[in-house]
Amino acid sequence: MQTTTRGQTPKKKAHRNLRFGWWSLLIFLLFGGALETMHGFKIGWYLDVGNEARRLMFTLAHAHGTLLALVNIAAGLTARNVVRFDLRPSTSLALIWAAILLPAGFFLGGVVTYGGDPGLGVWLVPVGAILLFYSIARIALDLSRLK
Amino acid sequence: MPRLSRSWWDWLFAIVAIAGASVLILISLHNFPSEAQPPQNRPIKSQVAGYVSSNACRSCHSGNYATWHTSYHRTMTQVATPSSLPQNMDQLQLALNGTEYKVERRGDAFFVRKRREGAGYGGGQQIVLVTGSHTLQIPWLETGQGRTLEQLPFAYIVAEKMWAPVSQTFLMPPDLKEYYSIGAWNGACMDCHVTQGQSRFVEGNRWDSRVAEFGIACEACHSEGAEHIALNRNPLRRFKIHLTTRSDPSITTPARLKAPDSALDCGQCHSVWAFNNMTDKIDFNRHGSGFRPGQHDLVQRFVVQPKEEDHREQKDFIRRTEPDFVGNRFWGDGMVRVTGRELNGVQASPCFRGGQFSCISCHEMHLYPAESAALKTWARNGQLKPRMESDQACLQCHTDMTARLVAHTHHAADSSGSRCYNCHMPNTTFGLLHAIRSHQVSSPTTRESTDYGRPNACNLCHLDRTLSWTAEKLHQWYNQPVPTLSQDDQTIAAAVQWLVKGDAGQRALLAWGLGWEPAQKIAGGDWFYPYLIYSLNDPYAAVRFDAWKSLQTLPGFANFSFDFTAAEGVLNEAAARAYGKWLRDVRSPSATYRPETLLDSDGRLQKDIFQRLQSERDDKRIILSE
Repeated sequence: MQTTTRGQTPKKKAHRNLRFGWWSLLIFLLFGGALETMHGFKIGWYLDVGNEARRLMFTLAHAHGTLLALVNIAAGLTARNVVRFDLRPSTSLALIWAAILLPAGFFLGGVVTYGGDPGLGVWLVPVGAILLFYSIARIALDLSRLK
Repeated sequence: MPRLSRSWWDWLFAIVAIAGASVLILISLHNFPSEAQPPQNRPIKSQVAGYVSSNACRSCHSGNYATWHTSYHRTMTQVATPSSLPQNMDQLQLALNGTEYKVERRGDAFFVRKRREGAGYGGGQQIVLVTGSHTLQIPWLETGQGRTLEQLPFAYIVAEKMWAPVSQTFLMPPDLKEYYSIGAWNGACMDCHVTQGQSRFVEGNRWDSRVAEFGIACEACHSEGAEHIALNRNPLRRFKIHLTTRSDPSITTPARLKAPDSALDCGQCHSVWAFNNMTDKIDFNRHGSGFRPGQHDLVQRFVVQPKEEDHREQKDFIRRTEPDFVGNRFWGDGMVRVTGRELNGVQASPCFRGGQFSCISCHEMHLYPAESAALKTWARNGQLKPRMESDQACLQCHTDMTARLVAHTHHAADSSGSRCYNCHMPNTTFGLLHAIRSHQVSSPTTRESTDYGRPNACNLCHLDRTLSWTAEKLHQWYNQPVPTLSQDDQTIAAAVQWLVKGDAGQRALLAWGLGWEPAQKIAGGDWFYPYLIYSLNDPYAAVRFDAWKSLQTLPGFANFSFDFTAAEGVLNEAAARAYGKWLRDVRSPSATYRPETLLDSDGRLQKDIFQRLQSERDDKRIILSE
């Protein structure tokens, strides 16, 4: 049986990303429902033209959260199904944190806005983006090296 | 020939794809001229140093942009298009002073063809700009002399959906057939109807006028934005401002200015102003206004307050060269009497001396929240802040007044006589065919009426009462001295006197005032009919218009049709028709009339007194230069 650092098997790491991905998908499904509700009831805090920045930030949070949940699921399935592919612990964690920080940054950036500028929380986005870039590049390289 | 490996093909494909994409990007970045040449037949939007236009503000300030976009400031001047011009423009046919005007549409452009009686139509002048959008719209024509404009001598009255000669939409003497002439837009109107206009006189009557933006846009109030935008491309700077002072020195925020400077920001247009001297006038026309929001004076110009001691030399010059300048804009005590010049009133208000009172105490240029229905109401309602149409406007400072409202007003708390505005900001300024509230906060006196002719607030509501009655009340309630009043002032309702023997400005205020709902409720509407019908024949078209509109507010006359621009004979016929209708169909046989109204029990005017008042009418020529 293969083991890696921290004593986790690749299957367990794959399971972590799969579990995170599906829970994350559920959370952003609910978030999407909340956004639709705000549309339905024409909530000015979200829809008014003066709150354009908030609306954009929340939309981006929803889109990134949903997509990155799917990416986590895809990563988990890849690790499970591709023979000899090992999802590194750093890659697995980076992918999970990217899926947390990116949508969280957009969301927090939308809670408080300064005219056309988002709030301070938006600074989480570049951190998440770096982690996402790292994890995707790592997976792509590791897959390319498989014989 | 050696066969290329698969990876070679991959690389080749990648290189070709990148090269193709690069070519496409280069093509799209190529600076194709979007418009071959700017129009040569009208003023154009052009690069004016430091000004970037509202489009540049939009991305960061979308909420403010949206509220401004709803406002009528934006549409103060627009390029003439099918959407900015009144509907059915292409079917328009009008006649004035022996000339017929016919509008033709060619694509999205509109042309006015003229002909003198018996002659053929000319080739046509393009309508290139339109001024105004919510009350009056006036189209401007190309002249063939560069960017010089000529006014179409007709204005569109938006509420009535009708065209009328421009000379009859302003309060001006009937013999004045044309008010503005060729080049007037370039030389005068654009001073305040665009953002940072430069008239740029060339020679003769030729102008090369340019503007930073048509209409009154962001930079009119916030100053030019180029530096602000350049500095704020840096997100660190923006967040430093957001999290610390929240004040950006690279742009002016009127709400953060001291009240007098904030008011001057609005007053750069909303005031009676004049140039300091010819040098400054030339500089203004060539380079645009030197004033920037936040400055303490208008630089090349000054606000004309006729009773103040400043700029004596300039004001003496004005009085010598334009003797009617003051009389056409101010009441005898120096209170402004034309609309659109509110800063004069604000500056002269006692509230202003406290240093905290400015236009934005009651008005706001950006409504929050920016909900669309509220925005439309706000735009139509003088851009007042929420609740500022009520006593709250005054109570925000005069906090103690709520508790002693009735003791102060001597009217019931829910009465229109207990509304601050009605007594302290009565409708004594006139323009755009209607009265609006004075912006000089004052208390009613009989002296303002006897000495300066201005209708006082009490008699603008109590239309059926005499000045003597008012004097007595003001003495009894506020210990004001009782003046010596004429026999007429003791026996004839003040409103009747203003309407019959007042000057055209007074008559217009009263013709409008008889349609004012609070006054109708207080003073009873029945005796209004004969006076409004009488005013349908007034020599001034603006008075006739308001008499007609007020008449339409009375029972039985809601659908009364009337052409206030018609010839004298037609006006006489319309007045006779209205009077007959009132006597026959509307007047209640049991109606009674106060003796001060000069109506006998049959509803007929007391002929001898009425004719005397008529003969005493103040026929001095008046142009209310709004």
